[in-house]
Amino acid sequence: MIKKIKASRSEKIIFVFIILLAIFSFGSFILIKDKCFFVKDYDPKKIKFDNPKNIAVLNVPCGNVIIELYPKVSPNGVKRFITLVKSKAYDDVAFHRVIKDTLVQAGDLEFGKKVNINYGKIGTGKSGLGTINSEVDAPFDFDKGSVALARTQKYNTEDSQFFIVLRDEPLYETEYTPIGKVIYGLEALEKIKYLDKSQYVLRPDFINSIRMLVN
Amino acid sequence: MSIIRIIILSLFIFTPSQADTIYNLIKIPNLEIYEINTSNKLRYLYAKQPFTIGIDNNINCFNSEKKILDKKYKIIQKNLNKYNQKFLKKINLKYIVLCEDLSISKINTAGIPDNIMKTLILDIKFDEKYFERVIHHEVFHIINDSFKDIFNEKVWSNFNVKNFKYAECSTCTDKLGLDTYSNTEGFFTEYSQSTASEDMAEVFSHLMTGSDLSNDDPILNKKIQFIKTNLLKIDENFIL
Repeated sequence: MIKKIKASRSEKIIFVFIILLAIFSFGSFILIKDKCFFVKDYDPKKIKFDNPKNIAVLNVPCGNVIIELYPKVSPNGVKRFITLVKSKAYDDVAFHRVIKDTLVQAGDLEFGKKVNINYGKIGTGKSGLGTINSEVDAPFDFDKGSVALARTQKYNTEDSQFFIVLRDEPLYETEYTPIGKVIYGLEALEKIKYLDKSQYVLRPDFINSIRMLVN
Repeated sequence: MSIIRIIILSLFIFTPSQADTIYNLIKIPNLEIYEINTSNKLRYLYAKQPFTIGIDNNINCFNSEKKILDKKYKIIQKNLNKYNQKFLKKINLKYIVLCEDLSISKINTAGIPDNIMKTLILDIKFDEKYFERVIHHEVFHIINDSFKDIFNEKVWSNFNVKNFKYAECSTCTDKLGLDTYSNTEGFFTEYSQSTASEDMAEVFSHLMTGSDLSNDDPILNKKIQFIKTNLLKIDENFIL
């Protein structure tokens, strides 16, 4: 007959501690490996929009970012953006400039493509469609999630590059051409790869795709 | 001792929330927003810490006490509200930087205009006697830099008497007096005689501050007319 041996109190404590440690280690492993673990992925088909024609879906490594475009605020800027979206020009283009908790910038179609990324020139590339005029006169609150076209130091040099602000940036009003706002999925942009010492990212994250909700 | 060290260190480590955004926009460090909700969309910024900019770091300015900032802001805003948003956009002026003891290459100056960066740096501790006039003087430099072809210096210089010659630059002369002459003889102030652009800026600033301009000085009258006519070319609704 086998005699049952009862675990002492200290043995029980050690056992519970080992179990907790295992759970914690396993959990940490998953969390460290998957930066998107806590990011909600929005399915645009399950959301009702007032004006679906103006909805663009940006797919990034951590899921969908749903952007409402404002053609009334900046008709030419939005038109340029939609043209590039419809031609799938933004697919596999790098988020080449990322400032933690401040902004993410992408859209260099010449030097930012995954297949032939050029770290020396990224941020200076063109779309081939020419520049468009800045549209900065309409009142616009540059609050968290605002999407705008990037430009050089001079006005009227907007092309394909765009940025999304991750915090309120009131000084950007009348500086940059706003084209829309993120209405769902900003958390996915907060997980875009950044570097602590530089705004320009080596081995950056890429846009998977941008599509208009209604073609 | 260590507490003092921590306090001093924290002053340098402290990063204001908008300083990086402002730096990205106008390339001046250590600034914070003072006021941006203005009727003419001018953005007023102030130096949170001293800053150094320019070629060979030759431009320096220092932070001010809040009390002084608040006092001078009211004066500056009152004067700059004379320019509407449309006009400011045309001349490329958007950011007003408030700081004190402004100097360029160690020479103290009232303001540094930069129409490319849409910025005017103002020394809020500049001589109170001329402070309001100086604001408009510096605004004129922005106007002039944005419309060099309109404010032709050769045409302007021809208004003066034949033998008169301006200096090579505004700092190449000791004609620095800013008191308005009672007997003008073609110039509002001694500083007017330094360079053509300073002369124009002096006429403009006198016009903007509503100084008594009624005089029998035919040269000055031509200069006043020149400024007025050319401002209307920039903005047909500009009111002096």
